[in-house]
Amino acid sequence: MNWATLNLMPALPELFLLSAVLVLLVIDMLLDDERRGVLYGLSLATLAGCAAMQYLAWTPVPVETFQKMFVADPLSGVIKFFLYGVTAAVLIYTRQYVADRQMFKGEYFTLTLFALLGMNVMVSASHFMTLYIGLELLSLALYALIALRRDSVPATEAAMKYFVLGALASGLLLYGMSMVYGATGSLDIATIARVIASGNGNTVLLVFGLVFLVAGLCFKLGAVPFHMWVPDVYQGAPTAITLMIGSAPKLAAFVFLTRILGQGMEALLSQWQGMLMIVAVLSMALGNLTAIVQTNIKRMLAYSTISHMGFLLVGFLTGNAEGMSSAMYYAIIYVLMSLAAFGVLLALSRAGFECEKVADLKGLNQRNSWYAFLMLLAMFSMAGIPPLAGFYAKFAVIRAAANAGMVPLAVFAVLMSLIGAFYYLRVVKAMYFDDAEEDAAIEVRADMRLVLSLNGLALLALGVLPQQLVALCMTAVKQSLTSL
Amino acid sequence: MSFTTVVFYILSAILLLAAFRVITAKNPVHAALFLVLSFFTASGLWMLLESEFLAISLVLVYVGAVMVLFLFVVMMLDIDIEKLREGFWKNFPLAGTIAIIMAGEMALILGSPEAGLHTYPARAPLSADFSNVRELGVLMYTRYMYATELASVVLLLAIVAAIALTQRQRKDSKAMNVSEQVAVRAVDRVRIVKMAAAPVDTAATDEDQPQA
Amino acid sequence: MDMKTLLLLIALAPLAGSIVAGLFGWAIGRRAAHVVTIAGVAVSAILSLKVLSGFVFGHAPVFNEPVYTWLTVNGNTYSVGFQIDALSALMMAVVTSVSLMVHIYTIGYMQEDPGYQRFFSYISLFTFSMLMLVMSNNFIQLFFGWEAVGLVSYLLIGFWFKRPTAIFANLKAFLVNRVGDFGFLLGIGLILAYFGGSLEYRDVFAMAPQLAAKTIELIPGHAWSLMSVTCVLLFVGAMGKSAQFPLHVWLPDSMEGPTPISALIHAATMVTAGIFMVARMSPLFELSDTALNFIMIIGSITALFMGFLGVVQNDIKRVVAYSTLSQLGYMTVALGASAYSVAVFHVMTHAFFKALLFLAAGSVIMGMHHDQDMRNMGGLRKYMPITWLTSLVGSLALIGTPFFAGFYSKDSIIEAVNQSQLPAAGFASFALTASVFVTALYSFRMYFMVFHGKERWKLNVHEHEADAHDEDEHHHGLGPNDNPHESPWVVTLPLVLLAIPSVVIGYLAVGPLVYGDFFNGAVVIDAIKHPALLHLGEEFHGATAMALESLRSLPLWLAAAGVLAAWIGYMKAPQLPDAIRRRINGVYVLLVNKYYLDELYFAVFAKGSRWLGNAFWKIGDMLLIDGLLVNGSAAMVASISRLTRRLQTGFIYSYAATMILGVLALMTYWFAPLILR
Repeated sequence: MNWATLNLMPALPELFLLSAVLVLLVIDMLLDDERRGVLYGLSLATLAGCAAMQYLAWTPVPVETFQKMFVADPLSGVIKFFLYGVTAAVLIYTRQYVADRQMFKGEYFTLTLFALLGMNVMVSASHFMTLYIGLELLSLALYALIALRRDSVPATEAAMKYFVLGALASGLLLYGMSMVYGATGSLDIATIARVIASGNGNTVLLVFGLVFLVAGLCFKLGAVPFHMWVPDVYQGAPTAITLMIGSAPKLAAFVFLTRILGQGMEALLSQWQGMLMIVAVLSMALGNLTAIVQTNIKRMLAYSTISHMGFLLVGFLTGNAEGMSSAMYYAIIYVLMSLAAFGVLLALSRAGFECEKVADLKGLNQRNSWYAFLMLLAMFSMAGIPPLAGFYAKFAVIRAAANAGMVPLAVFAVLMSLIGAFYYLRVVKAMYFDDAEEDAAIEVRADMRLVLSLNGLALLALGVLPQQLVALCMTAVKQSLTSL
Repeated sequence: MSFTTVVFYILSAILLLAAFRVITAKNPVHAALFLVLSFFTASGLWMLLESEFLAISLVLVYVGAVMVLFLFVVMMLDIDIEKLREGFWKNFPLAGTIAIIMAGEMALILGSPEAGLHTYPARAPLSADFSNVRELGVLMYTRYMYATELASVVLLLAIVAAIALTQRQRKDSKAMNVSEQVAVRAVDRVRIVKMAAAPVDTAATDEDQPQA
Repeated sequence: MDMKTLLLLIALAPLAGSIVAGLFGWAIGRRAAHVVTIAGVAVSAILSLKVLSGFVFGHAPVFNEPVYTWLTVNGNTYSVGFQIDALSALMMAVVTSVSLMVHIYTIGYMQEDPGYQRFFSYISLFTFSMLMLVMSNNFIQLFFGWEAVGLVSYLLIGFWFKRPTAIFANLKAFLVNRVGDFGFLLGIGLILAYFGGSLEYRDVFAMAPQLAAKTIELIPGHAWSLMSVTCVLLFVGAMGKSAQFPLHVWLPDSMEGPTPISALIHAATMVTAGIFMVARMSPLFELSDTALNFIMIIGSITALFMGFLGVVQNDIKRVVAYSTLSQLGYMTVALGASAYSVAVFHVMTHAFFKALLFLAAGSVIMGMHHDQDMRNMGGLRKYMPITWLTSLVGSLALIGTPFFAGFYSKDSIIEAVNQSQLPAAGFASFALTASVFVTALYSFRMYFMVFHGKERWKLNVHEHEADAHDEDEHHHGLGPNDNPHESPWVVTLPLVLLAIPSVVIGYLAVGPLVYGDFFNGAVVIDAIKHPALLHLGEEFHGATAMALESLRSLPLWLAAAGVLAAWIGYMKAPQLPDAIRRRINGVYVLLVNKYYLDELYFAVFAKGSRWLGNAFWKIGDMLLIDGLLVNGSAAMVASISRLTRRLQTGFIYSYAATMILGVLALMTYWFAPLILR
């Protein structure tokens, strides 16, 4: 190791983020409860700083550092920009909610930023070891965040379930990784890819490991049959934390999937394609069908997430640039949609009242037509109704599957999106055609109002003008996965 | 079958049995002790791989520190472990069947000639002056520096999370804060209420009176 | 500012105004709502005039570029693009300038309406949609604009959505237009199928000559010319939008909407979209004589028979509405005679004088306190001088008085038809000439009844007919002791501003527009097969000469006779019309009932489709969909969710077991040969 040659530039955002978290930890000690709001401002400033650092560290071609354990490429760059934005939106949306529920503590911010750091590490990992450590960093922070409201029994239970099942999934993942290591003699993703491509790997061991890797990955995505934690955790966690679990980590999980399967195991495409196809079909079917009977909107959105992950996999499993970039586009749009949907739920919740039943949205249009409209945008987008972004995202993954010759899968996906439209429209019906059951004023902080409105309108804008983002995803995928 | 192979299978058998007892033992103290046993056998497996440092640190850290602490907690708290394991035996036959099928399949797959595990050459024994500690140290601080640093961040996170989840202000604490007592002002303690000279409504006065 | 930015600004400025007024109208208030929408349309109008001047005073290059690519599928690009040539530039200028006048007028007309902001938002949205339609360079965008203007029209006819008549009228307009749109969509479908897969005008027109002789068999054994089928289908779309017989029935009812809308949408702009579309498609229509004959027949029927209906109407707006129908017939005939430039010229002149007449009618209605029955009016010229004068100008323009705008366009149409060599031209020529008389008759009947004669509201004969909006909440009428008063300046200003082009625009524009080379490149005429316009050009010696020559021609004298008849019937001998009515009672009843077309449609189509719908509902919905699919799938969904719910026990160990089972299943599936061996 020669310090003179250690290039820290690509990891600038991560270094900045870690330093900022440490500083925040110290500042937190000096603050009393009244001035805790300072941390909110500092956290947002940290995210802005990260984005600035990311801009400085931008690279059009993959650059490796830290002994090839860290890689900065357009894929990670683009995703990280979205991670910062999404995390900032999460903090803004949840500000009032956590303050009303005695969760407005320094740890809330530091844990959130730790989770972000974990995601950053995952996104930039070029080595199984850093992938795994990043994942654990993210997961640990999330477990703690769910349980942060200690007096809430459902939250504690949700944290417990997530923790135990997450540990099991990590075990599966590690077992799979050890098999791959056994077959290729390396944990470095590029080396693994090279060994497999050269035919020197032990195929039985590789596929055996692949089964476990896919299981672990699908757990993180929340795809069937590794989805069982999703509904319970979504429902049990405080809505603010549900938003956090349901948004940014999905982007990181997508990159996780891309790094392991798309980059490392690319030569085994024919194997994991079949596995993911089964998982995707099951996810779309079970997610959509079960969502129909849910009355708790958080639980409904959990099942909707499961089906969305199925759609994402439909694009991903084609294994070509078109499919991967459409999956990336899907992941980004999905995150924007769930941000908007949960954002409205958070806006409607207040001290002593949790908005989490579909019935709680009744007559929202009479109470506040703008939030009803934003929710309408989110629901229509999730249902895939043109001209919203969700439509184009679904269209892109389905087209990618059809172009790759998987017509039955594409047809099935279309059918499932039709069934899915039903339960989203139920929410719209409740908002617009039912009478309000309560008339409490909806009070929302100005910053949240602004960001939430922009968020909702972005769904419309990206549906009408998808081309730029699609092109960005395409470039990112093509530049980063050089084998495509 | 060489001697080390025999030892390996014996240790593994004990390890599996101990782990099984950890989850089936009725007495939590027994369960903790079985966990200690499984750690010991695991460190024995490390020894077979000539990784003395890892074997010793497993014993020192887990058995010596973590498990002792754990035992203290288990003995001091009155945990009704039966309640936690409700339905365990009801589901055991199904779970056991799945586990056996799983293990059987794994054995069939990994043991098949296609897997070719027998073709992996045996590792050459290490020389006497080979230092595990040194090798580990070099690797950790050169090749795997990034991962090591990240691991430290995970530990930091664990500390923060643990404190966040456990630390709470005790409401029944009688401890005094001298600086607060000094800084107190009259208005914090006494509230003077202006009242009309009307016939006194007892219920209202009770509420108006500051409960000093 | 480069051309692209300029055009985007023209199209998007009204949209921005509409969004602000529509979504934030509640917050910004009435004043800001009209300021912002008027500003948007004004920007659009000024820039459109600038674009037009480029074509009028110089030969600006044709702009034809995509401005935004929406998506690309299998090599076919679907984009938003603008094709700006003389034709679209002229339409843009007409649309935006009339729209601007109507915006201003609305401030006065809708003053007391609770839906003030909504109204402004709608009309700005309409302007945007109409601009998208005329500026388009491809069929997809054309269809988008086509449907968007239809939607806004639907919303505006039903603007007073508490009136049952308004709801009925907007539903009627919507359904009748669907018939037309169905044909239109089929036409576009044929183009997509046979014209090389592209939907850009440029590519389609380039392909057209090669396909002129191609035949297709839609019904096996019957070979039809592809071009004729396509053109007729496209024209069916135009028939719906431009209210041509027999799809005209929605337009008179659309007068349920507020008057500014009648002026903007149902007289000046939207209804001319069909005319514009055919002119735009001239490279296709020129290849099919069948389609041109068809167009001419439909147009002549509309022109003559709708004019008759105008004579018997008593509602001031309906008279103008039937007059619009008749004039649309004129334009259609001009298209059939391959005189596209004349048709578009009439679109332009008509836009000005008909908007003027409608707005003047609106002004009268305001003066009469929302009474629309002409039998209660009379002698208004004393009280509303500006409205009176501008109405007179509008009426003179409409009947084709020499030197007025309508004269040039109308006379050119009649001449063009006379020169046309198509078989249908004979009938068309007769119908158009005859309807000159009818036009003059109903126009001046209205004029005399409203502005001259006795002040009939003082006679207190409020004998409302059933169709005179008794349910109308705005309907007050004027008491015997009240007097009407002139409207505020925001109403009269647009009247005056519209009156000016109604007088001069024909004189100024006829030379370059119709006989010059203004439209060269924008419309295509096969001069050998359809030489009408060519002959016309040879006989044209300037605008003044044309007006003087008309003194020797039949139409002028017919128009004069019409005016005279109106004067006798409604000024000199008011008992005469009643006498005539009694004499030919059968015809009168037929006319009052609008040839019983509504009844026919109700009996055949409405009832028939309801019967069909009922049958489908009973068999399809109740039995198949509800019974098998919905209830069946609901039962299936319920059973699936019961199953998953049983798995979703809430216990960690069952979750973990599921995961392990998942791994087991994957492993078993992928290693089955290895395990089972």
